[in-house]
Amino acid sequence: MTGPEKAVTEADLLAYADGKLSAEARAAVEAWLADHPAEAADVAHFQRQNEALQALFAPAGNEPVPAHLRPATIARQKSANDNFRWRQMAAAIVLVVLGGAIGWAGRDVVTPTEAASDVLIESAVTAHSLYVKENRHAVEVAGADRDHLVSWLSNRVTQPVTPPDLSAEGFVLVGGRLLPPSEYASTSPAAMLMYENEAAERVTVYITSALPDGTIESEFTSRDALDAFYWANDKITCTVVGDLPEAQMQTVAKKVYQQLTRRPDGTSAPMNYQRG
Amino acid sequence: MTAFLDEIEACVPALRRYARALTRNADQADDLVQDCIERALRKRGLFRPTGPMQAWLYRMLLNLYRNSLRQTRRRGDHVPIESLLIEPSTPAPQPGRIALGEMSRAIDQLPPEQREALLLVVLEGVSYEEAATILEIPAGTLMSRLYRARTALRQLTGTGEETKLRTVK
Repeated sequence: MTGPEKAVTEADLLAYADGKLSAEARAAVEAWLADHPAEAADVAHFQRQNEALQALFAPAGNEPVPAHLRPATIARQKSANDNFRWRQMAAAIVLVVLGGAIGWAGRDVVTPTEAASDVLIESAVTAHSLYVKENRHAVEVAGADRDHLVSWLSNRVTQPVTPPDLSAEGFVLVGGRLLPPSEYASTSPAAMLMYENEAAERVTVYITSALPDGTIESEFTSRDALDAFYWANDKITCTVVGDLPEAQMQTVAKKVYQQLTRRPDGTSAPMNYQRG
Repeated sequence: MTAFLDEIEACVPALRRYARALTRNADQADDLVQDCIERALRKRGLFRPTGPMQAWLYRMLLNLYRNSLRQTRRRGDHVPIESLLIEPSTPAPQPGRIALGEMSRAIDQLPPEQREALLLVVLEGVSYEEAATILEIPAGTLMSRLYRARTALRQLTGTGEETKLRTVK
């Protein structure tokens, strides 16, 4: 195919057909094509392809450009759009801020205010359900480290937290942990104390500082198949949670109540609660 | 900014021509060109083209065209009836020429990447080197793409044998 001289490549043939060779290179390819009729026919056809493509599509480039395709027009529209978009964005921000402000201002009007007792009982029951299943991580500080437990929790709750003694009921202190305060009940963080009997039944005691208004109330209720005994005085709120038989639960709750509300004279506040 | 706009404006006829040849649809082509100009104006703040403006615009146009192809493939093609009516009205070829209607159909049958390359070189008169840059392919790939496009067109236009005989004479 190729002569003894420099080989002519497909790229050379294309460049020849497209008129993209230097005069010298063109002459060389021409000379080569004279001896290669098949390739010469290819190249001739390539050139006709160029003519046909030009005839078909080149006229579109001579049409007058419509106004909407003028860059200046498009730039003007774009800046108008951008302007509009900025205004929209600004308006959106104003609305969001306004909405937030209205919502915040009206939060007490709109939000159904759940009773603080409900919130605290709910938190106590949730914490009980979560940690009562744990073995190695049921508590943060074990009951064996009682002094540390008491000083730590008392500090955080800002009230003395003395774990009640429930040994008469068969329960020993497993230990305790600190839990965050509920955002709907303005109290201190909560101290949770966990007790366990020989049957591996567990009871938790959930203690926070008093509600801001020092409400005094008590309630005995059931949530999620758990019994909860709740009371609040001017110093603390306390919720005892467990799933013991009701009578046993009441006995335990009463013991907790008596010990945590012990007066300096050793007597305890009388207890009356309603069944919730 | 005005100089930038003028520079783009000078390229618009060529962009329309190339877009029209790629899409075979005047409206679709002008939409692509408009998108391309918008994009150029948007990108201008971030990226000042270092190479020639026209090559930069061709590359953006091609990207937009490829995106539109992908979308068309998903949606299914729809061709306005007018665009189908253009071809039969082309005059009968003179001896030794390729019938334009035939060429028009043949170019449609090329794989898109061959069509893009061939039209860039033949219609737009872009140098091989620049075409390779615009298409973001090596020079060798461009040449073999062009060669395959040419060979395919030769077969598709059905005048391959006839031309060969005439040339030999």
